[in-house]
Amino acid sequence: MTGDSLDPIVLALVQNRLDNISLQMGWVMTRTARSPIFNQSHDFSCFIADPDGTLVSQADGIPIHTGGGGFAVRALLKAFAGKIDDGDVFLLNDPYVAGGNHLPDWVIARPVFAGGRLTAFTCNRAHQSDIGGGAAGTYNPAATEIFHEGIRLPPLKLIEAGETRDDLWQLLLINCRTPELLDGDLRAMIGSTRIGAERVAALVDELGIEATQRYFEGILSHADRRFRADLGGLPDGRYEAEEITDNDCFDKVEIAVRVALTVDGDRLTVDFTGSDPQMRGFKNSSLANTYSAVYMGLASFFEPDLPRNEGTFRNVEIIAPEGSVVNPRPPAPLTMCTVFIAHEIVHCIWKALAKADPTRSCAGWGKSVHGVTAGNGIGGGEPYVMYHWNSMPGGGAVEGRDGFNQIGHLIALGGLTLPNVETYEQLYPVRFVKQEFRCDSAGAGAYRGGTGIDYEVEVLEEAEYSFRGEGVGLPSGWGAAGGGTGAPGDMTLYPNGGEKFEAPPYGVRRFGPLRMTARSPGGGGWGDPKRRDPDRVLRDVRDGVVSRDKAAEVYGMTVSADGRTTVS
Amino acid sequence: MSNQASEPVSLIPPWRIGVDVGGTFTDMVLSDASGAMHVFKVPSVPADPGEGVVAALGQAADRFALPLPDLLRDCALFVHGSTVATNTMLERRGATVGLLTTEGFRDSLEIRRGIREDQWDHRAPFPEVLVPRYLRLPVGGRIDRDGTEYEAFDAGGVAEAMKTFEAEGVESVAICLINSFLNPAHESAAKSAVEANWDGEWISASNDIAPVMGEYERGSTTVVNAYLAPKVVAYLQALDRQLRQLGLTRSILLVQSNGGAVSVDQVAARPVNLVLSGPAAGVGALNLVRRAAGTEDLISMEIGGTSCDVALMSGGKVGVTDQLIIDGYHLATPAVEIHTVGAGGGTIARVDDAGMLHVGPQGAGARPGPAAYGFGGQDATVTDAQLLLGRLRSGPYAGGAVTLDGGAAREAITRTVAEPLSIAAEAAAAGIVQLLEQNLLHAVERISLQRGYNPRGFTLVAAGGAGPMHGASVGRALGCPRVYVPRQAGAFCAVGMLHSDVRQDYGQVFLGDLDRADRDDLKQGYDRLEGHARASLDAEGFGADDSRIEREIDLRYRSQQYSIRVPLTNGFDPAGIRKAFEAEHDRQFGHIQPDGAIEITSLHVVGRGLFAEVTAGRRERADGAPTPVETRTVYQNAADGWADTPVYAGADLEPGHQLDGPLLVEEQTTTVFVGVGDRLEVDAADNFLIHLSNGSAT
Repeated sequence: MTGDSLDPIVLALVQNRLDNISLQMGWVMTRTARSPIFNQSHDFSCFIADPDGTLVSQADGIPIHTGGGGFAVRALLKAFAGKIDDGDVFLLNDPYVAGGNHLPDWVIARPVFAGGRLTAFTCNRAHQSDIGGGAAGTYNPAATEIFHEGIRLPPLKLIEAGETRDDLWQLLLINCRTPELLDGDLRAMIGSTRIGAERVAALVDELGIEATQRYFEGILSHADRRFRADLGGLPDGRYEAEEITDNDCFDKVEIAVRVALTVDGDRLTVDFTGSDPQMRGFKNSSLANTYSAVYMGLASFFEPDLPRNEGTFRNVEIIAPEGSVVNPRPPAPLTMCTVFIAHEIVHCIWKALAKADPTRSCAGWGKSVHGVTAGNGIGGGEPYVMYHWNSMPGGGAVEGRDGFNQIGHLIALGGLTLPNVETYEQLYPVRFVKQEFRCDSAGAGAYRGGTGIDYEVEVLEEAEYSFRGEGVGLPSGWGAAGGGTGAPGDMTLYPNGGEKFEAPPYGVRRFGPLRMTARSPGGGGWGDPKRRDPDRVLRDVRDGVVSRDKAAEVYGMTVSADGRTTVS
Repeated sequence: MSNQASEPVSLIPPWRIGVDVGGTFTDMVLSDASGAMHVFKVPSVPADPGEGVVAALGQAADRFALPLPDLLRDCALFVHGSTVATNTMLERRGATVGLLTTEGFRDSLEIRRGIREDQWDHRAPFPEVLVPRYLRLPVGGRIDRDGTEYEAFDAGGVAEAMKTFEAEGVESVAICLINSFLNPAHESAAKSAVEANWDGEWISASNDIAPVMGEYERGSTTVVNAYLAPKVVAYLQALDRQLRQLGLTRSILLVQSNGGAVSVDQVAARPVNLVLSGPAAGVGALNLVRRAAGTEDLISMEIGGTSCDVALMSGGKVGVTDQLIIDGYHLATPAVEIHTVGAGGGTIARVDDAGMLHVGPQGAGARPGPAAYGFGGQDATVTDAQLLLGRLRSGPYAGGAVTLDGGAAREAITRTVAEPLSIAAEAAAAGIVQLLEQNLLHAVERISLQRGYNPRGFTLVAAGGAGPMHGASVGRALGCPRVYVPRQAGAFCAVGMLHSDVRQDYGQVFLGDLDRADRDDLKQGYDRLEGHARASLDAEGFGADDSRIEREIDLRYRSQQYSIRVPLTNGFDPAGIRKAFEAEHDRQFGHIQPDGAIEITSLHVVGRGLFAEVTAGRRERADGAPTPVETRTVYQNAADGWADTPVYAGADLEPGHQLDGPLLVEEQTTTVFVGVGDRLEVDAADNFLIHLSNGSAT
């Protein structure tokens, strides 16, 4: 169906209204949830799906949640075909049977009925504070099976015809290390979908049931037309790319994600055939996460206001071979996948698209080297867990903008607020020494990559160190359109009076008081460095992020000793 | 058309004058001792905003047939709201700043904590850092996490840095050292060292400007202060001098971001507090409306040419936070909570390449402005749509500053919206207005629902030149019973200045457990802050009987990252404070943690100097009904279509008049649209109250 029979004014009003309902569901969530992760970090997304489980509107949420919610709704539609009633509320999380992306993200889905007919779903996907499993806090780097990662939930009726299933509720709580938080957060999720459902029901009431479905379809087909118009600007062809991670969370082993994009007019095929088999550690990507990562890679390549409902990707066919790292067979573990290997999948999409349209291409972002320190406060104080976010890496360049010198994870497109060191010194037994830009670490280019960071901190008490060092080893900030590659990262620990220790990408070690240094990776550059605006090169030299030697060698500019002028 | 009659009007002294310098117009409002209000509007002079101020005063002097010195001599209060600080930021015309930082942390300012305003728009660069890295120089010395000195301060490093600053033409120095919020000794030493090595005038130290925890926000605020100071303070001092020479007897007052006024002398040390000066004056206007409308719960929607500022007053108070973003730069200065969206008269409507209509957030600005202005604008705007729908008419507005051309409006809407959508121009125009009003509705919901308030219990205040055109429609969609329209809606902020009290905020970080905090430490903290507040009020000429000092405290449950501010009413009573905190936490977040550990994060003191309340202008109650100046065919809504609509001149409407919609009122600074079934009342304060029918939806 096309949008021909629709009133274009009503169509625009309905689209804005649905987006606003999704937003309002988020407000209810941030207002009522218990865990700081929701009201302070926004690690959740609210969305509305049509009766077939196609995602029509989505708000909040980090980019790696893009468009993935439809899998969850379709899984419950399949599991409960013919048994979905007014007043039911569903819960699920499992990536293998329930369309989940990874176990910590639980989905609450509420059907919206009008005149006895199913007209929509209002849903909330949110990262829980704890779900049992082998490690507190949902990430278990030692996992080799999904059973080590927490409780698995197939599609469940958590509320049946308005009645909460208390036995099930208790089952959930006793499988969690922080039952009070889970109890409050689940109620917040349920409450947000209820507010959303009331507002969607009011919309259906105004428009009528049939018309609502036609306008939903109108919204999806508008998004489809937008994206096809974008794709139509790319030359037909097959574009291949590969991205490697150099470990399986246990050993040094190269694992590749391989993709071939085929552009045929306004259709696109994304084929992961040839990607390596699933790995031992927890970076395997669930199918829903693979789709979201592809959607995120595509959407971020085009305009920022591209709709991010499932209509946008209607003409995109994704092939993800079973048993590979992008579609593992159970019981492969996969909790880490929303960060790594999502980062590699997004890079693959960007690399392939760069071949189709170098002008729009995006250079690679550095992978993080942040570790996690867990211990007790000064003099045996309260236990704490501290993420070394202040060592996050540099981002990649695009035409018109240098890479961010320090930025959050790629899969959030930087949507992470780094802490102030002053705040952390109050919370944890640490003294920060340095958080400054690196020199000569950025991928060179007409627009250079981000520098990455020189990081140094003293940890004043004995503690346990869990390493999250994808950025150690291979460089990750590859260059685009002729740009150079950013420097790789490393992390070194200097225990007081002990031997220095080079941190591995993964693993857990215990140390007494120590000093820790890290150099986080630089981002990739965009375009030929020789075409960089000479004023920008001079500024970089004056700023001390590019040396005079490097300016001469890479940018072809001989800079005077005071950094003010070029010497020809 | 600055005034209706031509013979001179006599004023009863003393009077107050408020001047709001906007990007396009400079608005001036004068209110005399009887409460009578007079509005003047002249074009702003961006190159020298003071020129626009003097021009407005000149126009007023002519109007009242008074020599300018007499007009100024009998002015008891001259309040200035100025975009000079804002514009200096937006246009990047501030000073060359040098920043001294702690060794190892010279890049905090440029890292910006990695905060992306719109993460999806990853191609957008960060705003240009205000101090380049080569002017961010480290100095040795470290205050430790407990406030003690860990490494001695290196004054020699400052001397070295000053040589570089000197060579680079630095005009203003900012200092932000790690942990100075715990112990300012190193910053003070740095300041002395700068003074010893430099002839320059402008030095901003972070513990003076924004004594908060967090090196990024504190440093960013300090740098913006240093960036603004030379230009903004010079302008204000020159204007003050000029007006004093012309006859003004007391210093002009400036409205700060916190909605309160302060003298030039006091703001000179902290010009960063002026960046929200214009919109924040709206709080004063809400104070006036609160008294006139007899309600403490108001939501204002001030709509101008490009944007709509929404503010919420609950229980007579507008929230103040310490977080403000100006054009991408983060500030930790007290600022009233205002939510701004790109929705105004000049907001552009467009159809995307896949056939969807969008209204905003882009606007056409003052130039070229709406197509109907005839300044070359090709895009269809909301003003063009209102003109096509008959709610505005062709011809001169705003004293002839613009002349609307209905043909140009129709052409633009037909070409850019109606034809691409294959609908009639009238349907396109109605759709544009509907979408704009939907955006306004969502903006009001954001400032209310998101913070735990139900907008239905509030009176909507429609202000700004374009607000009264949309007030009734948005109010109806919200479920509000009535909409209040100040007669001087188009000069809302200038009116607000006349009703702004003096206000200064002082705060300090205080880390401790609510139940175990040391009472002596607390007392010492509050005494110090109150000392600052008292000194400031003294300097402004306020004594014990016309001033007030309020204590507040910031609290959070342990492990939370954001705090909630609670007033201290009865000394320091932990049980009472816990109760107040729980009530606010419950309202905002829907739950509390019974017996949860509560941490204190900072102490606040607000000093207020109270001016006498101005009696709102009262006119005699009218007898008889007013006569419309014309009847026009105007589009109402989808259900009622087009209808003959009487148009009234604002001057003909007097207290006591009650009129049934549909109707239009053309006032000096705005046009009011009252829908079918609504009823317009002119209240005792001579403003408009629209009683809404609860009928048709938008």
